[in-house]
This record gives sequence, structure tokens and C-alpha cells, in this order.
Amino acid sequence: MRLITAAVCVFVALPLAWLLYAAFIPAEALIAANIATFGVTLENFAALRGTGLWRAMGVSVLASGLAVAGQLAFGLGAAYAIRNGARLLGLVLLLMAIPSELLLVPLYRQLQTLSLIDTLGALVVPFLASPLIVFLLLQALRRLPWELIEAARLDGASEGVIVARVVAPVLRPEMVAAAVLAFAAHWNLVLYPRVMTTESLWTVQVFLTDLLRTRSFEWGLLGAAALVASAPILILYVVFEKRIIATFEAGFRS
Amino acid sequence: MSERRQASLLALPALAVFVLFSVVPLLAVARYATWRWSGTSEPVGVGAANLVRLLRDDALWQSLGTTVTFALIAMPTFIALSLVIALAIEGLRVERFVKALLFAPGLVTVGGSAIAWYLLYNPDFGVLVELTGVRLPWTTQPAAALAYVIAFTLWQQTGYGVLVVSAALKGVPREVKEAARIDGAHERDVRRFIVVPLLRPTLAFLTIVGTVLALQSYTAVYLLTRGGPFGSTRVLGYYVFETAFERFELGYGAALTLFVLLVTLVVAVLQARVLVERSARGARA
Repeated sequence: MRLITAAVCVFVALPLAWLLYAAFIPAEALIAANIATFGVTLENFAALRGTGLWRAMGVSVLASGLAVAGQLAFGLGAAYAIRNGARLLGLVLLLMAIPSELLLVPLYRQLQTLSLIDTLGALVVPFLASPLIVFLLLQALRRLPWELIEAARLDGASEGVIVARVVAPVLRPEMVAAAVLAFAAHWNLVLYPRVMTTESLWTVQVFLTDLLRTRSFEWGLLGAAALVASAPILILYVVFEKRIIATFEAGFRS
Repeated sequence: MSERRQASLLALPALAVFVLFSVVPLLAVARYATWRWSGTSEPVGVGAANLVRLLRDDALWQSLGTTVTFALIAMPTFIALSLVIALAIEGLRVERFVKALLFAPGLVTVGGSAIAWYLLYNPDFGVLVELTGVRLPWTTQPAAALAYVIAFTLWQQTGYGVLVVSAALKGVPREVKEAARIDGAHERDVRRFIVVPLLRPTLAFLTIVGTVLALQSYTAVYLLTRGGPFGSTRVLGYYVFETAFERFELGYGAALTLFVLLVTLVVAVLQARVLVERSARGARA
């Protein structure tokens, strides 16, 4: 069993290690086909200027950020409504089972009808609510002591105020974990943005797949672009690692 | 207005998004399936022509076969690796490190992962062939191409499986294991007869996740092989994408979507039935 584990570790580490290495090797080392050259350079990152990567990063950060904000706000509202007896759980569970990328064809028509094709809205509006996030927040709400809500009601707070001022602050840890998950999921969409937008609105994923096609020989450039494109997810994960793992383990221990 | 009523209103924004972008597309796809439509052209009704075409479409049946093969190889491997690795590292000093390493591919964005694999395993100028001369045949041989996509998918997902099993392992009560040891059970038997049976619900969960992943694997196909060579890696989801957005037959793409939804439904129902039966048997035992 340990042998298998070790083998899998090597298998997993290889592409990662090479990606890191490629991003920092000088271009001459590659032209000379001298892979073993030990040299570290940032020129690959400098070469990314003018490729359109930074523009794509901007589009992706904006779109994923807006989508996540919507998913948290709308998701919390929906979870709170379900917790108070709204009959929506069935729909949420059903939608969780259907991956949105499977619905590319009908979604394309729907976006066309709403004049959203090739707009920033195409990347954001359909993702303003996510069944998975509703479900996660509902689980968290079920662990919340209900006296908290009732006390706020006695004080005369409206339901909207209760969600924003009482529930949201208490559920902050779960919301952070859900947000990181939602951000990574949206950030990693490939086919959806490729179909619904054209070059001026390319997200990072569409950009990367195009770069791989047009500059396939430039290892350093490709490696650097891949690293830059991964940075937001890496940063979020490193900052919130403990929170994510704790939420994750709480969910599976039972 | 009662509090419950007021609270229900808070679900409206999410509900609106679900209805507009999931429920309506899900229902309307049946209507689009009766169209001849390039995406930009005016749709023309063609009745059941697309559905008849489904039955005679050899590429579709090949694609279904590819998807089933993919799932039957990838899923058991995924579950076995998750279980074996989680058991192997439990309690070791390297546990945290191994988990972090195996989870790391999930942190590299998917396009970046495709680049990493391309740089390493590309048979024309990848690192592997330059350094060792080993030329992986995944661009020319169908079986190798499918294996390549499966390997990439496992590379991405195994860390997640290990985390899930490992979290469940921590939930196995220590007293149960110790009782067995006191009764003279070997470590191996404790694992086999105590720990693994207790993990059954977790493994069932991973089976469901794995099935969804198998049906969704078309992103990996798009990134790595674009369905080739000779359609050998063209899983169902990718076939839908290719038909609709590379050959611009969205009407037929809608018919294919219906077919894939039907397959998803059948698999989900079968799985639910097997899992319910199994847990009922487990409860009786």
C-alpha cells in the first residue's frame, strides 16, 4: 500500500514540479535544448505582457467575484427561507444533480433570448445562484441555535435584517468556505465561457487553451501563464486553508 | 405578513435564477430538439427528424461506449486509490504532506493543468520524450488516448477522494478497533472486517460523485485530445459540445442533450436503487 501511495505521489508531483520549473527557465536553455541548465529568470512572466493574459485575468476576477457575491447573498436568502418552511429543497437537490455545462445548448438559446450572448452578463447572471451553495448554507443554518433568530424577532427586526445582521455574521466561517469553493468552480469553467463569449471577454481558461494552441513551443511562457492563472485560487486556499479543511471534515465525519 | 411569508420572499432572487437558467432550459431543450438551427440562423421546425437521427447515429453509440468504458475504468480506480492511500497514510508523520500534495492539482486551474501535462507528455517535444526518448502514443492510438484522459482525471481528483476517505476514517470510533485488537484480531483483519465496512457510506458517496465526474469528463477531453484520435475519446458530453458548437448543429445538439439527460437519469435511478438495497441489507445484518 505504501508503494502505491509513493507511486501516486510521484505521478501527481511530476506535472506540478515541471510547471514550476518551466515557468522560471530562461528561453535560451530551451533553444539550446539544454533542459538541465540551472537558471532562474522572470523573463517568462515579463513576456506575458501583450499576450492578453492580464485582460483575461481582469475579466475572470470580475466575473467570478460577482458570481460568488450573488451566490452567497441569494444562497443565504434561499437557505433561510427553506429553513423557515419554504418548499424548495427538492428543486435544489434536483438541480445539484444536473451539471450546468450539460445544458450548453438550451442555455445558449436562453441567453440569446435575453440578449446576454457575448456580454459580461453571460458570465455572471446565470451563476448568481448555485444549488450547491444553497445546500451548504442550509446545512450550516440547521446547526444554528434558533433562539438567536427568535430573540431578534422579539426585538422587532424584519426577516431581511435578521439574515443580514444576525445570520450572516454567525455563518461567516461556512460562508467563507463556500465562497472559496464557488470561486474555484466558476474560475475553472472552460467550455461555457468559450461558447458564450468572444475574444474581448475571454476568461483565463479560454485564454490558456488558446495560448496552448498558438504558442505550443514556448514552454516558459506557457508555464508562467499557467502559474499566474492559478494564483487567485492558490491565494484563496492558502489564506483560508484551515477554514476550508474544518468545514470539509465537519461535513464528512458524520 | 407572517414571518414565514416574509422569509419566503428572501428565496425569490435565487428562485428566479434557477427558473430562468436551469428549469426553463431543462424543459425547453425538448422543443429545441425539433429544430434545425445553426445558432445564428432562424430555427426551422423539422419535427422528429433529429430524434430519428439519434437512433441511426453510429458516432453517438460509439460515444456512449466510450463514456461507459471511461467510467468503468476510472471510477473503480478512483475509489480503490482513495481507499488504499487514505489507509496507508493514516496516522503517519507524512499524512498531512501527502494529503496536501495530492490535493494540489485541484489548486492549479484546469487550463494550467492541461498545459502542465502537455509540456510533460507531448510526444513531439514534451519533456518526457526529450529526456528519456519515451514517446507516449496518446495522440495516435485510441486506447492510449483514453488511458491518457483517465490518468489526467485521476491526477485531478484522487486528492479529493483521499481527503473524503481520510475524514471518514477519523470518524471510526477508536473503541471498536481496540475491542477487536483485544479479541486478538490482526491489524489487517481490523481493517478488512471493521474499518472498511464502516466506510461503506463514504464509498457509496464517492461512487455517486465519481459517476457525475465521469459524465462531466468532457472538459478534460476538450483540453487534452478534442475527442481524437478517430473519436476514441469522444465522451457523450464532448460529442454534444462538438455537434452544437463546432459543427453548429444546435438542433441536433439539443436532441443529444435530451439523450444525455436520459442516460444521467437512468444511471441515477439505478444507483439510488442499488444503494438503498445495500444499506437495507446492511441494516438487517
